[in-house]
Parts: sequence; structure tokens; C-alpha cells
Amino acid sequence: MEETNKQVPVTVLTGFLGAGKTTLLNRILTEQHGKKYAVIVNEFGEQGIDNDLVVDADEEVFEMNNGCICCTVRGDLIRILSGLMKRADKLDAIIVETTGLADPAPVAQTFFVDQDVADRTKLDAIVTVADAVHLSSQLTDHHEAEEQIAFADVVLLNKIDLVDESGLEAVKERIRKINPFAKIINTTKCGVSLNEILNLDAFSLKRVLDVEPDFLTSDHDHEHDDDVTSLSFVSDTPLDMEKFQDWFSKLLQTKGQDILRTKGILDFTGESDRYVFQGVHMLMDASPMGKWPEGKERSSRLVFIGRNLESMNLKEGFENCKSA
Amino acid sequence: MKADTNQFPELDKTKFEQRGTEFKLGIPVTNAVTLGNSIAVGFGDGTVRIFTSGESSEPIKAHKGIVLCMSKDGDNILTGGDDGRFLNISLDGKINEIGNFGTRWVDHVTANNGSLVCSSGNIVYLWSPNHKEPKLFEHNSTIGGIAFDAKGRRLAVSRYGGVTLWKKDYSNKWNSSELNWKGSHNKVIFSPDGKYLVTSMQENQLHFWRLKDKIDSAMSGYGAKIKSFAFVDDSKYLATSGAKEAVCWPFDGDGPVGREPICLPYVGNKLVTFVEPFPNENAILTGLSDGSVFLSEIEKASNTIIIRSFTEFEVSAIAVTKDCSHLLIGDMGGNILWTSIWDEEKK
Repeated sequence: MEETNKQVPVTVLTGFLGAGKTTLLNRILTEQHGKKYAVIVNEFGEQGIDNDLVVDADEEVFEMNNGCICCTVRGDLIRILSGLMKRADKLDAIIVETTGLADPAPVAQTFFVDQDVADRTKLDAIVTVADAVHLSSQLTDHHEAEEQIAFADVVLLNKIDLVDESGLEAVKERIRKINPFAKIINTTKCGVSLNEILNLDAFSLKRVLDVEPDFLTSDHDHEHDDDVTSLSFVSDTPLDMEKFQDWFSKLLQTKGQDILRTKGILDFTGESDRYVFQGVHMLMDASPMGKWPEGKERSSRLVFIGRNLESMNLKEGFENCKSA
Repeated sequence: MKADTNQFPELDKTKFEQRGTEFKLGIPVTNAVTLGNSIAVGFGDGTVRIFTSGESSEPIKAHKGIVLCMSKDGDNILTGGDDGRFLNISLDGKINEIGNFGTRWVDHVTANNGSLVCSSGNIVYLWSPNHKEPKLFEHNSTIGGIAFDAKGRRLAVSRYGGVTLWKKDYSNKWNSSELNWKGSHNKVIFSPDGKYLVTSMQENQLHFWRLKDKIDSAMSGYGAKIKSFAFVDDSKYLATSGAKEAVCWPFDGDGPVGREPICLPYVGNKLVTFVEPFPNENAILTGLSDGSVFLSEIEKASNTIIIRSFTEFEVSAIAVTKDCSHLLIGDMGGNILWTSIWDEEKK
């Protein structure tokens, strides 16, 4: 707990150009009086940012030589976050604004891979600002738009005054299909209460326990193979730990590039604790998280977000992990 | 120890702490540079202080936020900061702004024979003596480190994917060649004899090139990133941080390939965070993550002595005065120890 307090929270703002990221950023900076923020920007000059601690950076994606084939990190973030931690005054939070075409995976992976960054800061949440008018076409045309929705903890669906009700429902349905555990907030001009986007601790294992994804029952027949979709599984039969670990580690090793995010709460035979994990591509954070609540049914829940999920025999693999 | 002593006794201060001067400034120490018998220290609030004979100067307000890097130019201090400024500061505190890059940090600074060099983003800027405008050296990624060789004719620039080696020909034209190795390279240094180039990497390892034949190899096995490393005793050993021992690789003869490093262990089993060669000796000062500092002879580990006991804060700077009479230790908690190295009677 004490360790958590020492870590400065980092909020990542993603979204396509023109969606309203800078509007949101300036709202955070002007409304949170008396708080010290550092802002790391990558599209400098488009619109002024009202803060005295703005760091200009280039998005630099570095491959790691750690044997993890899809492991990339953001070199600029490692450099700047490590530098900011040498400041005499403590920052309340750090906000990273990414370019419209940025892939959020290397940003998230940086917090798993770099020990200095992980010791001193923590990824608080990925907030994606989406333009309600243009999101559908952006999702069709750009992989990056899908990834930004897939990685989001919060999707700020902006400019809803410019679409009709059925248009709004359609775009929300599209978001939910990609990412059932992102919280969707409707706004015009990014008018959102800031406690809905800051200090969410969305990457902590504790928060995985709160996740109640919209389990989709719809089939995925209409998707293209490379569309990002999600699949969820529930089992009331306890799982065999060895079988699960065997299946899951092989799955991530071979399909980690296509699996963008995973989250799960697992009930293992013979274990009194709940096992919780969350992952980004091949990187995983997992831990027992205390006893199952008394009087409540124990069950395992598993959510995948990724591409080509239908080809991975996930249902069969998961079923095979059930204790005989 | 008697049974009736206090449950938490005051830890004994070392003889160096007893005879030295301690400053509890509470501001993280980022850098220290020797200037004759003074030592300039950079801090995480943008200030620089000059320590001389156990006295500290008034803080010099150099940068807005953090003194990110420091070097020296003759008798002056060079600093780069998170306010995008590249400064030349005299010992009496006069500040001269050499360059200003706004919201882009100045990550690295160095100098050689009056040429002043800094890097910001992916560009190295070089001001030749008496030139107002800098010469620009562009690279394919943000620069991890810069270093001149002893003669100032070669400038190594580490980056993602390796090192760019700039060489000045006799018509003073700079030509580049590339030394490639996959991954992100941070700090870079030449061996004092100019034969080797060494970088630390984003992965927990170092990489070196033998410059005459471009043979290169990794030095790995570390538990943490290697933030501090330096050549000792001319170029005989490369002392490195990043493990619970000070790992010293042999660079004499044909270099370290196929040879084992000497590992110097310390009580407490803490991570080594800083290594500083002791001038003109085959010895190093080693700073640990708990603030303790030791002086060790590389080839005779039993001759290790403790200089400073723990402070709980990682050692982030060690510097020895030019006459080897005093040393300064700084840590991330803003504690500074200035002490004489030799007993008074041995002087």
C-alpha cells in the first residue's frame, strides 16, 4: 500500500486528431487547482497547452531484446519519466498525450518492462477521446483507431450533439464489440467530471475484480478477420491450475501479437484465494487477491480483446482447463 | 553490545562522517563534477551549488526544474536542464546561456578544448570556440549519450540501434560511421586509451566495441539497468553498477572477451547504483541503493573500507577533488557528505 502511494499516477490520453484530446487536457489542467501536473505532448503547436510543465517528446517505439517477440516500449517515456522522478517537488500526476496514430500497446508495456518506471510511476488509465461523428469510419480505415478503443479504460465519446440517437447507439455498439470493459462516457466538448477519468487505478489487479464486462452474446459472423473483437468466458467449474498455466502461457507465446488485452479472475481447484491477472499482449501481471467473498458463488471469468480470436480455439482451450 | 543498550542504537558514524561535513538539503542530487579542488553539484530543483573546503556556495538558480546533466569546460560548469537551456556557469555563479530549446530537454552536455556540445532530442549541437552558431549532427532517434575521446577528434553519440561515431579530419570536417547493435543505447564512454567504446543499454547489459577492428560484444548478467560505469586506473578495468556487487571487467591486454570480471561484494547486499574511479589508483568508490559508500581496491577486495554508512537514499553522485584530498557524496534524498580522504597526520 505504501509503495502505491509513492508512485506517481500516469494518465494516457489517446484519440484521433481532432477528437478533442487537447480540449480535455486543458480542462484537466485548468480545473484541478493547486495540483502539480507534468504534461508530455507529442503534437506540439496544434493548440496551446496551459501548463508550466510541458515536455515535448517524439514518440519513439523501441524493441526490447528480452525474448518477447512483440515487446515494444516507448523510449521517450522511459527517458522523461525517469527524469521527472529526480524533481525536488512531487508531482500529483503525469499526463501523456499521444499522437492520433499512436498504438497504446508500447505505452502500456513500458510500465511492465522498465523497472525504474514501474518503481516510481504507475499507469493509472488509458483514456481514449473519440469523435462520435467520425469514429465509425476511422475504425474501418485505421488499425490504430481500433487499438486505441481496445486499450481504453475509458472512452470519452465526444461531440455527441452532432449525431442523432440511432447514430450514437450504433457507434457505442461498435465500441462495446471491440472492448466490453471500457467505460463509455457521452460528452460534448469533453464535458466530463474529472474524477471519472483521473485516479482510476485501472491497471491495478484490485480493479480487475470490479470489472463487470458487458458479456456479449452476439455472434461474430460479420467481422472481418483482422477486426478487433472481444470474447469472454465464464465457468462455474473450478479450473486446474497446471492445465490453465500450460494452455495460457502457450497461447500468449504463440498468439500474443494478436491478443491485445486480457483480464481474468480465476477459481482454481484447491485454492482458497481468487487469482487475478491482466495483461497487454505477452506481458502479464498476476497475483492471488485474497479469499473469495463468503456466501457468493465462486466462478472463473476471462476476457480477451484482440484480432483473429475466432481462430485460437479459445473456448475449447478454456473448457479443457476445467478440473475433471 | 550490552543487553541493556537502547533497542535502536544510533549507528556508529564512520571516521569520514565524523571528520567531514554533512549537509541535509532534502533536494535530490542529480550530478557532481570536479573543478580543481571544488566540486559542483546539480540538484533536482534546478540549482547548482559549489562545495569548497567543506563550505557550500549559495544555490545558483540555473534551471527551472531539474539539472539533468553536467560537465565542465575548463574552470566552468556546463549544465543542461528540463527548461531546454544549455548553460555555462562560472565558479562565482555567473550564468551564460549557450542554447535554448524550449520544451525540449537538454539531455547531455560535454566539452573538449573549448568546443561545447549538447544534445536535445535527436540532434547534437556543437559550438566551436568563437562560433556563435552551432553545428548540427542529426541522428535517427533521441540521443542516449555523448562522449569525446581524450584528444577531442572523435565524438561518440549513442542512440537506438547503436552508436554514431563522428570523426574530425584534418580539414576540421566531421565524418560519421555507424556501430550498430540492436536495442536502445544510453550512456556512452571511450576508454581513456581510446581503444574501446562502451555503452549501457535499456536491457540490463553493456555493450562494447574495440575500435581498431570493430569487434563488439555484450557484457550481461546484471539484475538492474546499469546507470553508472567508468574506466579505472587508465583503462585497466571497467567498473560497473547494476548488480549487488561492483562488477569490474578487465580491459587490459585483448579486452574482456572470454575473461571473468572481478566482483566486489559489499555488506548489506544492496544494489550498486554509482561507481567512481579513485584517481590514479586501481581502486573505486562504490555507492549503493541504501546510501552507503565504500572504497575498494579492485584486485584486493579485502582492502575495502566504508566511507559513509547508510542514509536510505540511493547514491547518485560521488566526486573526488583534483588533489585527491577530499571527496563528496550525494544521494537522491539530498544528503551530502564532504570529507577529507586521508587522516590529518598522514597528509
